[in-house]
Amino acid sequence: MANQRFSQRLYRWLDDRYQLDDLLHLVGKKYVPLHHHSLWYYFGGVTLFLFGIQVVTGILLLLYYKPSASEAFESIQFIMSKVQFGWLIRSVHSWSANLMILSAFIHMFSTYFTRAYRSPRELTWVSGVLMFFLVLGAGFSGYLLPWNELAFFATRVGTDIAGQIPIIGKPILEFLRGGEDVSGATLSRFFGFHVAIIPALITTLLVLHLAFIQRQGMSVPLGMEHVEVPEEKRLPFFPNFMLRDLLLWLIVLNVLAILAVFFPWELGKKADPFASAPAGIRPEWYFLFMFQTLKFIPSKIFSLDGEVIGILLFGVAGVLWVLVPFLDTKSSRGIKVRGMTYIGIFIVMYMIAFTILGYIL
Amino acid sequence: MDAFHTKRRKNIFLLLKRLLSILAATFLTILSSSHTYAVAHQRTIQDQCYACHQAMGDKPGSLYGRDIHHKIGITCAGCHGGDATAEDPEIAMSKKAGFVGVPTGNAVSEMCARCHDNAEFMKSYNPLLPAGQYAQLKGSVHGRASTVANEMVAQCTSCHGVHEIAKVTTPASPVYPTNVVRTCARCHSDPTYMKKYNPALRVDQFELYKTSVHGRRNMEGDPKVAECASCHGSHDILPAKDPRSHVYPINIPETCAKCHSNEKYMKPYHLPTNQYEEYVSSVHGVALLKKHDTGAPACNSCHGNHGAVPPGVQSVSNVCGVCHTLNAQLFEGSPHKKAFDQRKLPECEVCHGNHGVQHPTDAMLGVGEGSVCSRCHTLGDTSSGYQVAKVMRLMIDSLTNRQGLAERLLKEAEQKGMEVSEAFYNLRGARQSLMEARTAVHAFDLATFKDPLDKGMKIANQAVLDGESAIHEYYFRRWGLGISTLIITVLAFGLFLRIRQADREWREKQRRM
Repeated sequence: MANQRFSQRLYRWLDDRYQLDDLLHLVGKKYVPLHHHSLWYYFGGVTLFLFGIQVVTGILLLLYYKPSASEAFESIQFIMSKVQFGWLIRSVHSWSANLMILSAFIHMFSTYFTRAYRSPRELTWVSGVLMFFLVLGAGFSGYLLPWNELAFFATRVGTDIAGQIPIIGKPILEFLRGGEDVSGATLSRFFGFHVAIIPALITTLLVLHLAFIQRQGMSVPLGMEHVEVPEEKRLPFFPNFMLRDLLLWLIVLNVLAILAVFFPWELGKKADPFASAPAGIRPEWYFLFMFQTLKFIPSKIFSLDGEVIGILLFGVAGVLWVLVPFLDTKSSRGIKVRGMTYIGIFIVMYMIAFTILGYIL
Repeated sequence: MDAFHTKRRKNIFLLLKRLLSILAATFLTILSSSHTYAVAHQRTIQDQCYACHQAMGDKPGSLYGRDIHHKIGITCAGCHGGDATAEDPEIAMSKKAGFVGVPTGNAVSEMCARCHDNAEFMKSYNPLLPAGQYAQLKGSVHGRASTVANEMVAQCTSCHGVHEIAKVTTPASPVYPTNVVRTCARCHSDPTYMKKYNPALRVDQFELYKTSVHGRRNMEGDPKVAECASCHGSHDILPAKDPRSHVYPINIPETCAKCHSNEKYMKPYHLPTNQYEEYVSSVHGVALLKKHDTGAPACNSCHGNHGAVPPGVQSVSNVCGVCHTLNAQLFEGSPHKKAFDQRKLPECEVCHGNHGVQHPTDAMLGVGEGSVCSRCHTLGDTSSGYQVAKVMRLMIDSLTNRQGLAERLLKEAEQKGMEVSEAFYNLRGARQSLMEARTAVHAFDLATFKDPLDKGMKIANQAVLDGESAIHEYYFRRWGLGISTLIITVLAFGLFLRIRQADREWREKQRRM
């Protein structure tokens, strides 16, 4: 009773100063439509939760991690074997990074197939896709940080690919590597990208993304927006949907704990820049479809370098993907273009098929 | 009567042979103008060149009578060209008659090769005569271009001589076994000459050879003992670092075994012939011949090269100590040194053997079955040897077992996905200490032995603790996961109830509205 009185008094104290009632009123006005595609709404929240996990575990890892070629591997080894629960923090960080990318993939494609990008939510889509690219960048830069053999050579291959871009490739390569080859300078740079630049950009875009959603509400799939949603077919965001989100987050947290205990993230062998590349070097799974495509492209296409053409095609595809809301203007007028659905299905199938090929070939 | 018929048959064969030779030579001369067949023709005719030069009393004229080529009827024109039948020197040594004068440089060896590289032709003299020596010479170290001109370092005549060339099997030949060492030494013992080709090459081989068992016997006139060509080859000599060389480390045991494993050949010397057989299965032999570790000792590593002698009783530990330095040093200061010297025992060899030396194991130590210590030290021993051997074995077994346990625990932890690479790395220190302890055995002193052993034991104990702790941690994680899953499940159930309550409240609110 005394506690309740204290919490009420604290709320009143804060409300007097920050007008919390207005904020609660705003949150209370937000509703989540209920329909047979409502399941996809949860993936945005899961991605957000996993991003939070990334930030928390990342900060904890920073307490012991040493970003230099001579100490990085040993510091991770120390975290994994000597620091209390260090193994858990590192494994959860690695697993949640992968699950976050998977969840972001699902969230992005569910948004695409339900045409949630259509007017007036074009910028929500653009900010989301840019965040997705940044998340991939975080994955790429974070992969090198343990300074192990696989990461070292995969980074060498990855940055080599970036170096193939005509005209700007070479400066990009040198900017990423901090020199001609992958070295301690590359590690320092990647560390900077991974813990400062990329998280700062993601956070900025995330604030915008969430603000847009809060302001515009949740999108309903195309063809349903003109039907007036009855009261029983919608759910208050707070607390009903929020509690469901929390329940899912708890389940995801437990999955992360199970993965970390049963499949602790391996450290491998320390990178040796003078050793030859081990067999089977491949990037992380989320880059594998691109890597496999580049392997399949013939070395010369009409006297042009095949790899360069591949990289340019992926670059163009990325730009088009960002511009999807502006390309599919018909959906804003309520017209569902089947072609967009087929393109989406093709992209998903292509990515899955080439990822599988990347593992089996 | 039989003797008469036999002699007659021989004469007929000889006559037929000569007739056939003349016919063949005439036929081939018509068919071809090649020098080889011209030589075949030369051997059947009067050598007018030799007749004149002999009459003049010059060096070729006085020497060629002893030359093997003269004896089988090859005229001066065989090498120098010209017409050996012409009495007039102008005609005999005219360019028209093909006179080439004194060949120089590679032309010397090429001229010899015209016949000696022709196997068919050589067979007409002796089916057993080898051919192809020039091809071998060209590929050998002596076939390399010399520093003075674009020609080989050595020509055929450099070793076999000129105008008085003798069969290799005759003592007059410069390459006869008892002469060949001096022939080789003419160049190889001349520092000024050798510096032009290989300044790093030693020039004391001949001096060393004279001190060796082989050399001493050779100097006494024994043609069977090894000389330069026995090991290095003759026309096909290659640098010792060339894997094709007969004296390349991996090939040395086989080169020595050519004689030393030949029971019949070695019989007059009363030497055993099982050294190679023993060596092949020894730790040194396996390393050199199977693993191709050229750092492993071959015969010459212990017996020497040119100054080859068997190591004596006093020098065995010095020979082994060239590689096993620490063991030899420890042995020098050990109580065994004096005892072995007094009994004239060949030090290392007493426990380890010689040619068949096997990889030493801990079983050699102690007083149990198979131990080498118990060969001399028995239970009622007045010295402390028996007790020391027993304690050493117990201690080394303890460290081996402890290290094995640590390894098993760490491997188990690793298989369970635990990070134990640092503990594994540290355990290498125990292995190092175990090796040090095994070396320290050669001091035969408990105090010296205990130092590395205690150090190793400390490391192994720590590794055992690390392994146990990692395995314990593995189970702790699973328990932790179980408990946290339980807590999450309870929380999830609580949330589920709260969601139901919130939904009820929402429906209630809707009804009221």
